Amino acid sequence: MALMNTLFNGLSLSSIYLLVALGLAVTFGLMGVINMAHGEFVMIGAYVTFITQEIIGGNGSVAYLLSILVAFLTTFVLGCILEKVLITRLYGRKIDSLLATWGISLILQQAARSIFGSQGVNVNAPAFLKSGLTIGGCTFAYNRIFIIGLVIVWLLTVWLLMNKTSFGAKMRATMQNRAMAQCMGINSKKIDCITFGIGSGLAGVAGCSIALLGSVDSTVGQNYIVYSFMTVVLGGVGNLIGTVIGAMIIGFSSIFVEAYQSASIARAIVLLIIIVFLQFKPKGLFVIRSRSLDEE
Amino acid sequence: MKKLAGLKGKGNHLCFLIIAVLLAASPLLVSSTSMIQFLGKCMCFSIVAIALDLIWGYTGMLSLGHGIYFCLGGYGMAMYLRLRDNGGQLTDFMQTGGLEELPVFWRPFQHFPLALLFIILIPTVLAGAIGFFIFRSRIKGVYFSIITQALTWAAYSLFIANSKYTGGNNGITDFSSLLGSTRGPANRGNLLTLFWVTLLALILVYMLASFLVNRKFGKLLIAIRDGENRTFFSGYCVNNYKNFIYTLSAILAAIGGALYVNFNGSITPSQMTISYSITMVIWVAVGGRGTIIGAVIGAFFINLCEYNLSSGSLADIWQYIIGIIFCVTIVFFKGGIVGIFRDQIPALLKGRGKKKEVA
Repeated sequence: MALMNTLFNGLSLSSIYLLVALGLAVTFGLMGVINMAHGEFVMIGAYVTFITQEIIGGNGSVAYLLSILVAFLTTFVLGCILEKVLITRLYGRKIDSLLATWGISLILQQAARSIFGSQGVNVNAPAFLKSGLTIGGCTFAYNRIFIIGLVIVWLLTVWLLMNKTSFGAKMRATMQNRAMAQCMGINSKKIDCITFGIGSGLAGVAGCSIALLGSVDSTVGQNYIVYSFMTVVLGGVGNLIGTVIGAMIIGFSSIFVEAYQSASIARAIVLLIIIVFLQFKPKGLFVIRSRSLDEE
Repeated sequence: MKKLAGLKGKGNHLCFLIIAVLLAASPLLVSSTSMIQFLGKCMCFSIVAIALDLIWGYTGMLSLGHGIYFCLGGYGMAMYLRLRDNGGQLTDFMQTGGLEELPVFWRPFQHFPLALLFIILIPTVLAGAIGFFIFRSRIKGVYFSIITQALTWAAYSLFIANSKYTGGNNGITDFSSLLGSTRGPANRGNLLTLFWVTLLALILVYMLASFLVNRKFGKLLIAIRDGENRTFFSGYCVNNYKNFIYTLSAILAAIGGALYVNFNGSITPSQMTISYSITMVIWVAVGGRGTIIGAVIGAFFINLCEYNLSSGSLADIWQYIIGIIFCVTIVFFKGGIVGIFRDQIPALLKGRGKKKEVA
C-alpha cells in the first residue's frame, strides 16, 4: 500500500512538472527561446484562476473549469505581446533572450506584489475535486487525478497540433529551416508569435492546476522553473516524448528520495543526479541528430 | 590624431583611475559610516562583476551560479570571524542543532592563515571540478547557463537544509570585521583601513584582469566566445582555457565575497540564490560586457541606484526600474554604459556631422 501511495505521488508530481515543462518544451524545445518569465506566466495563470473564482463565486466548479480557458487565453495573449515586443528582436541571441526575459520576470513579480500584496491568496478547490478516491486503503486525491488527466489531455492536444494539423507542419518547418519555410510562403513571424503564445498559454494552464495545490504568491513560478528547464534538457530539446520521460524521472526520483531525506536535501540530490547524468548524455535522452557543427 | 587614438586605447584605464582616485578620496569627503560601508560593498561587488565579465563578456559562458563562489568566500571569512569573536566556541545555531563539538570542516577556520587558504582553495577545487566535467562533455551556451542555475539551486538547498552546520536561512551573523568593530565614530580608523585595503584589492583584480585580456590569452578567450569550434580546430585546447578562466573567475568571486562580509557583518544563503546570481549578471550587462571597466561601472551604477531608490517611497518601483533597465540594455544597448559612450554617441555625432555636410 505504501508503495502504491509512493507511486501515485510520483505520478502526480511528474504530471505537475510535465505540465509546467510542456510550455517550455514548445518555447525552448522548438523555438530555442529561453523564457525565464515562464514561471511568471505560471503565476499569472494561478492568479487568473483566483480572480475568475472571485468574480463568479459559487462553489467554484464552473468557475474553475472556466478559469482554465481564461488562464490559457490570458497568458496566450501576454505571450504573443512579449514575443512581438521583445523576443522577436533577440532571435539568434539565446543568452540575451534569457536575460531579457529575466528582466520581464522581475517586472511581473513586482506587479503581482503590487496588485495582490506579498501575502499568498488561496484558490478554493472546486467541490468535485475536494475528496478522494479510496481503493483498498489507498486514497487518491481527486485534484491530483484531475491534474494527471489534464496533462494527458494537453499533451495529446499539443501532439495533435504539432503533428496532425497544417499549422503544426508550418510551425515545424519554420523552426527547422526558417529561410526555406519563408520561401515556401509561410509567414514565419506569425508562426513565431503564435507558437510562443501557445507555449505561454500552456504555462497559464499549469498555473491553474498549481493553484489547486497551495496558496499562490508572486514567487510561485520560481519554484518550478529550474525543474522544468532541467526536464526539457534531460529529455532532449525539441522532443515531446523526451519531455514526458524527463518529467517522470524527476518526479519519481524526487518522491523516492524524499522518502528518506528532507525535501531540500532531496531537491539537491535529484538536481545533482541529473547534472551527473547530463555529463554522459549532454544533449539529453533523445537527441535529434544533425550534421551541422555549431547547433546554436 | 594619432595622439587621440592612443588616448582612446587608454580611455578605459583612465576612467578606472578616476574611479579609484574618487574612491580613495571618498572617506575624506563623506562622513557617514553607512555610506562608506556601502561603497566598500560596491567595491566587493565590482570584483565579482569583473570575475563574471571574464567568463561571460570575454569567453561567452554565462554562469548563473556565481553566487555560490561569492558565498563560499563569504562563508569562509564569516566562519573565521565568528569563531574568533566567540573564542572558538560553538555558535548558537550549532547548539540549537544539537552539536556537541565543532564540526570538522569548521576547525581549520579557527586559524587565520588556514582560513585564508580554504577561502581560496574550496572555490578553486569546486570550480575546477565542475568546469572539468562540464567542459569535457562539451556543454556550452544556454545549456551551461541552465546547468549552473541548477547547481546554484542545489547548493542553496544544501545550505538551507544543513542549518546546524551553516546557520540555515539566517546564515552566519554577529561578528565584527577583520580589524575589529567598524561601527561608530570611535572605530572609523578600522573602517577606513578596511576600505582602502578593499580598494587595493579591487585595483589589483582590475590590473590582473586587464593584464590577462590585453594579451594573446585574452584574444583566445574572445576567439572561444565567437567561434569555439574554429579555435579548437586551430589547435588550441579550448577546454583548458575555459576551465582556467572559469576557476580564476570563481576565485575572484570568492575574494569579493570574503571582503564583502567584513562590511556587511553577516552572510546569508540569499546571496547564493539564482536571482542574486543573475543580479550580478545585470551589473555586468548594464555596465558593458566585454570590458573590464564596464563591470566596475555597472556594479557601482546599479548598486548606487538601488541604494538611493530602494528605500522610502520608491521601494515598490525599484524592481520595475531594474527590470526595465535590464531589458532595454539587453535589447538596444548590447554594450551597456560603456557601449553607449564607445559606439552609440560617436555614431550619433558622426551621423549628425554627415547630415550637416549633406545640407
